[in-house]
Amino acid sequence: MAAYDGATIDTKYGPVQVQAQVQNGSLVAVAVMQYPNGDGKSVRINQRALPELQSEALTAQSATVHTVSGATYTSNAYVKSLQSAIDKALAAGAVVA
Amino acid sequence: MTPHRADVCLHHVEHVMGMAVSFDIRQPAPISGTLTEVLRWLHHVDATFSTYLDDSEITRFGRGEIAIDDLTAEVQDVLLQCIELTDLTGGAFDVFAVPAPNGTQLDPSGFVKGWSIERAAAMLEDGGAINFCINAGGDIAVRGEPAPGDAWQIGIRHPDHVDQLALVLEVRGTMAIATSATYERGAHIMDPRVGSPTTELASATVVGRDLGIADAYATAAFVLGLDAIEWIDPQPGYDAYLITHDGETCWSTDFPHPSQRVAAAASARR
Repeated sequence: MAAYDGATIDTKYGPVQVQAQVQNGSLVAVAVMQYPNGDGKSVRINQRALPELQSEALTAQSATVHTVSGATYTSNAYVKSLQSAIDKALAAGAVVA
Repeated sequence: MTPHRADVCLHHVEHVMGMAVSFDIRQPAPISGTLTEVLRWLHHVDATFSTYLDDSEITRFGRGEIAIDDLTAEVQDVLLQCIELTDLTGGAFDVFAVPAPNGTQLDPSGFVKGWSIERAAAMLEDGGAINFCINAGGDIAVRGEPAPGDAWQIGIRHPDHVDQLALVLEVRGTMAIATSATYERGAHIMDPRVGSPTTELASATVVGRDLGIADAYATAAFVLGLDAIEWIDPQPGYDAYLITHDGETCWSTDFPHPSQRVAAAASARR
């Protein structure tokens, strides 16, 4: 395993230095080498890397759904929304999922 | 799941609070008059809490025309819950620090919508309904299941395409799904902590039991950006799914992984 030290960066929480640990050509860990005065924030910076690894590229999906969640649409925008189409189908007694 | 004829026994779309509220009520039907009572309640909430109306209680309070002690218990209760949510979100949701359409700095709409739909759901349950879905302008409260043995299929809108979905969640029982984004109204969502618009995310969806909280948390998550993950992870019973402008997605620890989203309800139904 090889380790690469990054430059020390001044953040709003204080100076932070990270180290990338690479094994067989893949990044396996990022360690925070220098914490800003050991306050709570430094721990949070460290934990941040974990949930961000749970990600994927967004792809458009099509499926039969009962309802759709999205940003609040006005009554005007509702007319062209998927939810409006679903409501029309329900009102017509259509076969739905 | 094989398609079957919908067991819809009551379907209604009401335009209230400046949005469309869709009711999809499955068997058993609530007793007669229940939906009428629910709609009356929503129009009452609109008249009381609207930041578009000049004479609503919230507008008059925001302008300083009503003392806090003279507010109705209902409005006091909502404002107290909003203050609690400001605390829980570290200031990312703050109804006293965002410009409202009425020119005041008080806009609890981001909580009131979900809160009023939760009350509407309770009224339907009191009326005997068990299985239903209410969609209030894109924020959703469900109960029970659409048909025996089935789960509600909830699409999350793709931020770039009005007619496409980013993902589909399956939920059963008591569950709320709220999404915060700017693609619909074009308006900025302000970060109340700094007083400027927030831009990191294209959309933030929060899943949990209560739609008032989920609504406020979705706004907070949108404001927090990717930091929303570490913020929401310790919040019991609420999970987030974020989409960036680059089309990357990110989710909290208990939000179902893509391979497990069919079982979404398992983590969400706590």
